[in-house]
Amino acid sequence: MDKVMIIGAGCHPCGRFPGKPHTAIGREAVQLALDDAGLEFKDIQAAFCSRVFLPQCTGLKVLTQFGRTGIPIVDIEAACASSGAALKQACDAILSGRHDIVLVFGVEKVGSGFLPPPNYAEWQIRMGLCQNPMYWALAARRHMHEYGTTIEQIGRISVKNHKYGALNPLAMYRKEMTLEEILNSKPVCDPMTLYMICAPNEGAAAMVLASEKTARRLGARSITLAAIEHKIGRYPMLNVAAYHQSPVSDYSCATTDAALAAYEYAGIGPQDIDVAEVQDTDAFCELEAYEHLGFCKPGEGGRLVDEGATEIGGRIPVNTSGGLISNGEPVGASGLRQVYEMILQLRGEAGARQVQGAKAALTHVYGADGHSAVAILTR
Amino acid sequence: MDRKQVAFDERFLTDPSGPEQARLIGTRCRSCGVVTFGRSQNCEHCTSSQVEEIALSTRGKIWSYTVLRYASPPPYQPPEPYVPIPAAWVELPEGVRVISPIRDCQPDQLQVGLEVELVVAKGWEDEAGNEVMSYAFRPIR
Repeated sequence: MDKVMIIGAGCHPCGRFPGKPHTAIGREAVQLALDDAGLEFKDIQAAFCSRVFLPQCTGLKVLTQFGRTGIPIVDIEAACASSGAALKQACDAILSGRHDIVLVFGVEKVGSGFLPPPNYAEWQIRMGLCQNPMYWALAARRHMHEYGTTIEQIGRISVKNHKYGALNPLAMYRKEMTLEEILNSKPVCDPMTLYMICAPNEGAAAMVLASEKTARRLGARSITLAAIEHKIGRYPMLNVAAYHQSPVSDYSCATTDAALAAYEYAGIGPQDIDVAEVQDTDAFCELEAYEHLGFCKPGEGGRLVDEGATEIGGRIPVNTSGGLISNGEPVGASGLRQVYEMILQLRGEAGARQVQGAKAALTHVYGADGHSAVAILTR
Repeated sequence: MDRKQVAFDERFLTDPSGPEQARLIGTRCRSCGVVTFGRSQNCEHCTSSQVEEIALSTRGKIWSYTVLRYASPPPYQPPEPYVPIPAAWVELPEGVRVISPIRDCQPDQLQVGLEVELVVAKGWEDEAGNEVMSYAFRPIR
């Protein structure tokens, strides 16, 4: 299948930057990616900006700081999966044959506390049913009931992600935490406690994509975007903002749909993935992602934790960047931040977080109402 | 001014001002059999327009539960002082699960499989001063 190459990548730190406009945060990430690619903004032929809570024309306002070249610039939104959705649109723009060099970047600047609930119906908000963490907590409780998954197994995922965040200069939280500290932190939506849940924050990440032919012509240092798929769950499911589920026993979820499509396009399977970044909106989300991405069978996510399989040195290290739990979630930028970490891994530039010999990497984002995007990168 | 009882959303709750307790509204697809919460013109799964409106059962079981330790943001009006509020996915016999607050239940009484029944009660007032009726489920005594 035709592939697109990533020839440049850049990432702004994740955190809170009072007084720094999102246009400055976005601009820095884009400049880093252009420098990495050895290109200038005027070489870009189309641009896709991923953002969720920032206003209309965010992409345009970030990029016109470089100049007005007349290229199409659109903002893409798909909840927490926005940057994966944008990556697919950018990739498809090249595969269509219309463009050779495309920019995709994500940027976000959002405050602390519960996210604004624009994707809930008015009645859901008035009934107090609009806390995003409650939906993940409900999923965790059910999994504990069905499979005997324990809160300690879930908590240990947070321990892992805090440990790796401490090694990541781009992460917001860079402090290791013990299991006791995590389990004893404030309950938010039982059984999930504060330190098991990510914080929305600010950041940006950018990639320059090129067709294979153009990447060769430029002599660029490339990572192959072996697949990028965006799917939406085909049944009403247990999702953020959902008010109903219509369960069918043989249907999994959007993550499984996106992952299966990505593996098929790339021509590999989950066993071939050397390192992955997945959506740990809370620590349980990561555990169920192991199952939905095919790293283990349904119900066995807890066992993967007990085996240490998803730690660096294990058979499938997950969230070597520290995940959303340590980086926070600059919502529109998050998936591209994941891609940036996977590019570092594949280039052998992840330093203390390096997975030796990584050749195939996977990123996964999951958003409200059933959005999921899965990307596979190879060298 | 006549204060009426109105549904929180007329696609989801039958007229609460009638003599019997209002019922939650569902849609059943005649093509694929999927049942969803709320009145729809198309099946949310298979897109078919061959759908029928049904009244959902007033009794179900807790499929999963949580406790909201912090107040949801406005315009929701939390109890003052705030007390932790149970919420659950309630599984109804029609094969649909609905999200719901759980009332008249202590957090330590919550369990998967707990049998619960529908309560329709005043949720809030609208701008016209009507009582907006919303729903919750409570343990069956």
